[in-house]
Amino acid sequence: MKKFNKQILIGLLAALCTLSPLAGCKNSSAVSNPAAQTAASDSTGTSGSSKYKDTIQIDVFDTQANYQGVQSGWFGKIVKDKFNMRLNIIAPNVAGGGDNLFNTRSAAGNLGDIIMTGSENGRLLNTAKAGLLLDLTDKIKNYKNLSAYPKALEMVKSLVSDGKIYAIPSKVSKQSATTSSDCNDPTYGPYIRWDCYTAIGSPEINSMDDMLNVLKAMQQKFPKSDSGKKTYGFSFFKDWDGNIMNNAQMSNLYGYDLNGTRFLLVSSDGKSRQSVIDENSYYITSLKYMFKANQMGLVDPDSTTQNYDTMFAKYQDGQIFYSLWPWLGQGAYNTTEHKKAGKGFMFAPFKNLKIYSNGCSQSGNGYVIAVGSKAKDPDRILDFIDWLYSPEGVESSCTQTTGSCGPKGLTWEMKDGKAVLTDFGKKALSGAAIDVPSKWGTGTWKDGISALNYTAVLTTDTDPNTNLPYNYTMWDSYLADNNTMLDTSWQKKMGAKTTMEYLKKNNMLSIAPGNSYIPEASGTEVDTICNQCKAIIVQDSWKMVFAKNQSEFDSLLKHMQTTVKGLGYDKVIASDQKIADNLQAAREAASK
Amino acid sequence: MQHHSASKGKAVKKNKWISYKMFLLILPFLILLFIFSYLPLYGWTYAFFDYTPPLKLSQCPYVGWKWFKFLFLNKTQVMEFLKVMRNTFAMSGLGILTSPLPMLFAIFLNEIHCRWLKKSVQTLTTLPNFISWVLVYSVAFSLFSSSGMVNTVGQSMGLISQPIHFLDSDNHTWLSMLLWGLWKGLGWGAIMYLASLAGIDQELYEAAKVDGAGRFGLIWHITIPGLLPTYFVLLMLSVAGFLSNGLDQYYVFHNSFNMEHIQVLDLYVYNLGLGNGNYALSTALSMMKSVVSVVLLVTVNAISKITRGESIV
Repeated sequence: MKKFNKQILIGLLAALCTLSPLAGCKNSSAVSNPAAQTAASDSTGTSGSSKYKDTIQIDVFDTQANYQGVQSGWFGKIVKDKFNMRLNIIAPNVAGGGDNLFNTRSAAGNLGDIIMTGSENGRLLNTAKAGLLLDLTDKIKNYKNLSAYPKALEMVKSLVSDGKIYAIPSKVSKQSATTSSDCNDPTYGPYIRWDCYTAIGSPEINSMDDMLNVLKAMQQKFPKSDSGKKTYGFSFFKDWDGNIMNNAQMSNLYGYDLNGTRFLLVSSDGKSRQSVIDENSYYITSLKYMFKANQMGLVDPDSTTQNYDTMFAKYQDGQIFYSLWPWLGQGAYNTTEHKKAGKGFMFAPFKNLKIYSNGCSQSGNGYVIAVGSKAKDPDRILDFIDWLYSPEGVESSCTQTTGSCGPKGLTWEMKDGKAVLTDFGKKALSGAAIDVPSKWGTGTWKDGISALNYTAVLTTDTDPNTNLPYNYTMWDSYLADNNTMLDTSWQKKMGAKTTMEYLKKNNMLSIAPGNSYIPEASGTEVDTICNQCKAIIVQDSWKMVFAKNQSEFDSLLKHMQTTVKGLGYDKVIASDQKIADNLQAAREAASK
Repeated sequence: MQHHSASKGKAVKKNKWISYKMFLLILPFLILLFIFSYLPLYGWTYAFFDYTPPLKLSQCPYVGWKWFKFLFLNKTQVMEFLKVMRNTFAMSGLGILTSPLPMLFAIFLNEIHCRWLKKSVQTLTTLPNFISWVLVYSVAFSLFSSSGMVNTVGQSMGLISQPIHFLDSDNHTWLSMLLWGLWKGLGWGAIMYLASLAGIDQELYEAAKVDGAGRFGLIWHITIPGLLPTYFVLLMLSVAGFLSNGLDQYYVFHNSFNMEHIQVLDLYVYNLGLGNGNYALSTALSMMKSVVSVVLLVTVNAISKITRGESIV
C-alpha cells in the first residue's frame, strides 16, 4: 500500500512538472529578467536615471514590428539613457496568426504599456470602448511635440464615441496635402536590372507587353544568375496576400489603390473606381500579364510555394530581373560593389505611367500609438512618446524603413552649416555591418536600429536642426555623391537626377491628397462576407496566373466572379462605395 | 435483535464510506471532464452575438440565429459548406477504407521470424508517428517542391524538362494526403494489434497445426478472427470521430492550388475563425459539427446493437 502511495505521489509530481511551464505564461514584464538587468546596468546613462529612479521594462504591442524581444544596440541605449527604460517589443508579425494575438491580449484586458495599431474599421473606437487605452486628453497639452500637430489630435478625437484623445497618429506632416510623401523613389514602380537592360540595347518600352519582351530578351541574354541558377523575369510570394493577391499590383502604376476599401480600386482623386473582379479592372489586367509572363517562361516556378525570404535571396543572387517595388530589388541587389560595377535595379518607365503616391497629411496616418490603460508609469511613457515626435526622436527612431538620418554625431554632422554624413554614416547606411563606436553602445549599426518600425513624423518633412529633410537620401551632400557607374548610366539616359525628379518632370505621378479620413466600421456581416470573398479571390488569382491555357484562365475568372457574387460580394462593394465617397470628399477638401 | 440491527447499521455506514471513497477517487476525473468537455460549451454563446474583439461579449449585440441563417440560407454558402463536407467525408472515408492496413501490417510483421529484422522494421515504421506534421511538410517540401530533390534530379538526368508540381497542384490531393497519413501512422496503428496478437492463445495455433493448417491457414482461421474484436472497437471509435479528421496535416499542406480538395471541416472552421476573425460564424459552424457527430455516434451505436448485439456507449 505504501509503495502504491509513493507511485501516486511520483505520478502527481510528474504531472505538476509538466504543468509548471504553463504557469510561466504570466506577464513577465517586470524587471525580473536577470540577463536584461545586467545588460542595462552596464550602460552608464545618467540623465535618464537621475530623473527616473528605477529602471522599468515596458511592453510595446507593435503590429508593424518585425522583431520580437527587448530592443538592443544603440537605439536601446539611447532610450535607456534618456528614460531609464527598456522596450520589450511584442510583434504579432513575428508571432504569426494575424489578429489573434491582438484579440487574445485584449480579451485578457491588457494589450501592453504602449500600443501601436491601426485605427480603421472601428478598431480604435472598440479598443477604447473595451477600456484598453489610457485617456490622454488632459495630459497631451503638457507635451510640446505632441501638441504641435493639432489636426492629428482632432482626427483621433473624431474616431471615438466620447471625443477624447486615446492615441496619436503616425506619419504626421507639416507639408501640403498635395505633396508626395515619397522620397527619391515612389513606393511602387517598374524597376528592372539596368545593366541587363542596357546590355540588350535599351529598347524602348511603351507598354507592359513591351516590358515582357524586354524581360524575355534579358533572360535569353543572361540565362544564368551570379551563382549559376536559371534566371527569371518575375518571382512572386504569397506572404502578403490580403484582400487580393498582393503581387498583382499594376493598379498602383496607373494611379489606383485599395485605400481603406476592400475590393474597390479607387483612383487618387477618388472619382474613378473599379471593382477588382471586373474583367477590365487593373487587377484582372495584372493577372492577365502575370499569366502571359508565365506562359513565356518568365515566372519563377518556385513562386507558388516560396516565402518572402527565399524570394529575397533570389534577388540578391541576381536571379530575377523585375522588381515590383524599388526597395525590393534595390535593397537586395544594389550593393556598393554592384553599383560601382554598373549593376543594379533602376526605374524603367513605360508610357501612360501614373504612379500612385500618398500625399502628406497634417493629421497623419491611421496607424496610431497609444498608452495602455494598465501602463506602469504612464508619465514616463508619454515623455518617451513625446520624444519620438521630437526632431531628435525622429532622426533616431525612423531609420528602419523610412530612411531618417540617425542620431547626430554618429551618422551625420554639421559641416559649414550643412548636414553631411560621417564616414561611419556612409558605411553603415549603405549596409556595411560595422560596429558603432563604443560611446554609442555595442553591436552593429544595423542590429541597433529601432525595431519599433514606427514613423512618428514623415521623414520628408524638414528637420529644424538641419533645415533639411530627415531623410538623408534627399540631402544635396548625399545626392552629390550619388555618382556610381549605375547612377550615371541611368541619369544620362533619363535626364534626371532621381526617379522622383523624372516622374515629376514627366507628369507621371498621381498623388492622392493627404487627408484625415479613416474608414469607419462596416459591420460584422460585411466583414465576414469580405473575409470569405478574399479567400476565394486570392485562391483563384494564383490559379489564374499559373493556368495552363487561356480557357482555363477564363473559367477560373468566371468561377471567382460567380462564387464571390454568391457569397455577397455586392454588399462589400456597396460599403466600399460609401467609403470611397467619403474618401473623395476628404481628398477634395484637403487639396483645396 | 437489537444487536443485529446495530451491525446492519454499521455495515451501511461502512458501505457509505466506501462509496464516498470511491467517489473521491473518481472526482478529479469528473472535474477534468467538466473543465475540458463541458465548460467550453459556454463558448457556444458566441454564436449568438455579433462578437467583435477587442469588445467584451457583454458589449456586443445579441443577434439570435443570424449566423446560422447566414450559413444555411445562402445557396453559395451551402455549396461551399457541402464542398468542405465532401472533402471531410472523402478523407475520413478513405481512412476507414484503409483501416485494415495496420492490422495486416501487424500480422505480416508477426510472421517475420528473424528477431532483429522484425524489431528494426517495427521501430522504423513507428518513428514517423513522432514527427510533427510541420516537419513532415518540410521533408515533403525539400523532396517535392519545384526546386526540390526529385525535380532537380529529374531535370539534371534529363527525365523532365519542366519541374513537376507535386505540392502546388490539385491532382490526386485526397490520395496523396492518404499516403502521407499512412506513411506516418501505419507503424503506430499496428502497435495495438501486435499487443492483441500476443494475447491469442498459442494452443489454438498448435491445434490448427495438428489439423494440418498451413501458414496462411493459421492467419486466416486464427489470427484474423482473434484480432477482429480489436479492429471493430477501433473502427467504431474512428467512425465517431468521422468529422474530426484533424487539422494539422491539411493545414501544412494547403495552398491556393489544392484548397478545393484539401479544406476539411476543421480547417474550414480554423480558417474562418482564427484565420479571419469571424469567431461567431465559426462557432456556429462547429456547433453544427457537434450535432452531426452526435448523430453519427448514435447511428453507429444502433448499427452495432443490431449487428453485434451490444452497444458501444
